[in-house]
Amino acid sequence: MSFRIRQIDVTATGREIVRERTAEGPALSIGRSAENTIAIPDLAVEQHHLTVTADPSGALVFEAAGNLGFTLDGRTRLNETVTDGGAELVIGAYRIDFAAGPDGEIEVTVRRREEREGGKGDGGHGFTLASALPAKRPLAWALLGAIFLAFLIVPIWSNLTRERVAPDPDKSGAVAMDAGWSTGALSTAHADLQDNCEACHAQPFVAVRDDTCLSCHEKIGDHAAQPRLSLARGPMSWGDAVQRDIADVFHKPGAGACTDCHTEHEGEGRMKPPAQQFCADCHGTMDKRLTGTRLANAGDFGARHPGFQAAVLTAPGQAKPQRVPLSARPKEFNGLKFPHDLHLRPGGGAARMAARLGSAAGYGGTMDCADCHRPTAGGARFKPVRMEQDCGSCHSLVFDRAGGNFRTLPHGDIGKMRAALAGADRAPRRPLASGRRRPGDYAPGGIYYGNFAPPQRASVPLASRMLSVGGVCAECHYPGGTGVQPVIQPKRYMAHGWFDHADHKKPKCATCHAAPRSSTSADVLLPDIKTCRTCHLGEAAAKPKVASSCAMCHSFHPRGSQPPARMGADRNKVAIKGPAIRKSP
Amino acid sequence: MATLASERQGRPTDHESFLVHKRFRWLWVALALSVAATAGYFLADVKPRPNGGSWYGYVLGTVGLLLIVWLALLGVRKRAMTEGRWSLKAWTSAHVYLGLSLTVIATLHAGFQLGWNVHTLAYALMMLVIASGLYGITVYARLPEKLSNNRAEMSKRQMIESLAAIDRQLDAAAQPLARAESDRVIAALEQDAFRAGVIARLANAYRGCRTARALRGFSADRELDAHETRVVALLEKRAAQLAQIRRQMQLRAQLDVWLYLHIPATVALLGALTAHVVSVFFYW
Repeated sequence: MSFRIRQIDVTATGREIVRERTAEGPALSIGRSAENTIAIPDLAVEQHHLTVTADPSGALVFEAAGNLGFTLDGRTRLNETVTDGGAELVIGAYRIDFAAGPDGEIEVTVRRREEREGGKGDGGHGFTLASALPAKRPLAWALLGAIFLAFLIVPIWSNLTRERVAPDPDKSGAVAMDAGWSTGALSTAHADLQDNCEACHAQPFVAVRDDTCLSCHEKIGDHAAQPRLSLARGPMSWGDAVQRDIADVFHKPGAGACTDCHTEHEGEGRMKPPAQQFCADCHGTMDKRLTGTRLANAGDFGARHPGFQAAVLTAPGQAKPQRVPLSARPKEFNGLKFPHDLHLRPGGGAARMAARLGSAAGYGGTMDCADCHRPTAGGARFKPVRMEQDCGSCHSLVFDRAGGNFRTLPHGDIGKMRAALAGADRAPRRPLASGRRRPGDYAPGGIYYGNFAPPQRASVPLASRMLSVGGVCAECHYPGGTGVQPVIQPKRYMAHGWFDHADHKKPKCATCHAAPRSSTSADVLLPDIKTCRTCHLGEAAAKPKVASSCAMCHSFHPRGSQPPARMGADRNKVAIKGPAIRKSP
Repeated sequence: MATLASERQGRPTDHESFLVHKRFRWLWVALALSVAATAGYFLADVKPRPNGGSWYGYVLGTVGLLLIVWLALLGVRKRAMTEGRWSLKAWTSAHVYLGLSLTVIATLHAGFQLGWNVHTLAYALMMLVIASGLYGITVYARLPEKLSNNRAEMSKRQMIESLAAIDRQLDAAAQPLARAESDRVIAALEQDAFRAGVIARLANAYRGCRTARALRGFSADRELDAHETRVVALLEKRAAQLAQIRRQMQLRAQLDVWLYLHIPATVALLGALTAHVVSVFFYW
């Protein structure tokens, strides 16, 4: 067993000097001392650093003499056995290669190591992901630039350089890429403005102004006249006052601005009705601020709503209706004598009459409300009762028979009625005696004929008789003036609250209207608030009660005889300019 | 030693993770913040529905904005090392927990209203940053131990030198081989171990590994002479060393990859946040 040692030195000019020698014996010692088989002139190496032994099987055993290790095939070791015949030992600044040579010899090559044999740098960089990915910074800048361009620069630039035009919901907006700014879909009513942001957001950094809303909703009325509207405004809570102060600093419009109640970008569908609190803030304690108001304080419908008042005429000849509380069971004078109970009583005369007339005349077995009260087109209210149509099948207006025809009295016009009855007065007198005939020229048709019978009762005109206190007209009417007192059927009893009969088809009429127990038409057959509250309670009411906020019956903006604004049927009708600005849905 | 003793005061000698810093102080702060924000959300009377533009929405939005800016400042803060009350560890602990509380604050600020707009872009980027941060915490807690085990007390430099040593022996041992066999070895030696893409690193999958290909080539040969056997042994050694290096690269990639999302997404978030705030008040 021997080692062939090749020691390679490099001269200053780069020339390699190779010295070869053979070391006999199974072991090889390596260290700084000159006594070693291989002497390494390096201070980092110990005098006797390690021993390499070749055993007969060809394995090489490396064993450190001290407690300083050596590097074998790149790994730091204190002892190691190599069986595959080759190894690379690094010790100090030297590299010693072991390789199996011919004839069982082991070739040992000793050379000084070059600097950084493993590659450039400290070698650690290749392990990190940074060597495989672009740097984070360029990526970050690119993303930042893209976002600024798409969501700031383009929309702002096109907004500032756009042509200023009046808002037009039929056109799309001129500002580019501002759809990305939208915080949510617009309500159904404003859906056409979805792509026309600047129609409402007219000035940059200026909150939406009332003027902008009014440029379309120009017909909308204010809730009440100033200064009462401002005077009535409720006291602000501490939190609201702070909010208002902050809003004022930023010149946000209000209080009382459109946007205080009407918020947009809340998603598709109907715009949410303003909360009950918006009304109750002022109306809850309004008497304190608005002394002399005729309106009672109002809040939650279930708990803090005053009783209903109906506008009624209370005396004959009264021109202006008078508001009276329903709780006081008021009496009205509408000019008609009509006992509801008499007509609705099952088995009563009216019922039997209706039964006899039967379905041919439009009646069921008995009389019911619908026999006389017919709904208006939308079903919200009822048409006025018409005598000829609704009463006439029983209360016949026939007063005469001429030939085979019946003559019907014109109803509702005293002049025409008198004229018609005057015709009836010209009926021929009956003969004085019947069964006997005068002879000759004294007989009827003869030239000496004379009818000496008393005139029919027409000496008092029929019309006067009918219109008198005991007359047929007075069965239903009150005499007055030249004929009878006019009958007044009010369209609405409550002008400031909305009630839609079409929404209340399920209950029977009598559930709310006490007609079957009313013996006189002076009864105001409107239900009081208690009746409504059996189903309707305030905004926070839980099912099965119907949660009813103020907006269910009332409109903040005056709407006359129209119902409160609702989306759907009314969506394009909220006091906007006119048909030009909106196409029909 | 007096200076050392004074230095030790108030500075625990035991290692304490930023996660448990001061008995989870910032976890509790973040929890309190989230609970307060949630309670306020339900107590605040905001009509008609919770919304970023309501007074409570503005409050949460301001808190969220300040938090995001402060959280992003960790990048500045970590480059200035100090100790004491606002040590980097305390800052990092607060960064993690307050960052997580943003999920609550920003979601409530949005009032659960999301859409295809710059506002939701900011929200989504924020969530991406938080999610990547969560991943970062997880790997920082679990992977260093694996990284240390894989290193087996070798430095990265040593791994590279070990590979170089094997390569030199391979080069020497392959001298007697025929052309075809030599080419296999040359191909293996020429391949740079560190030329690997992100996916290869993360998955630790190297289909084009020529060392493995060379080994397959030799195993297909029927008979191997002594030189070839020696070369195969060295190739196997090389493959083993490569495996260690590649596992190291995989763990490093898993440790690093989230930052490539976390940092650019944070910068993008700051941009989207600016656009969010400006656009809201531009179209007020």
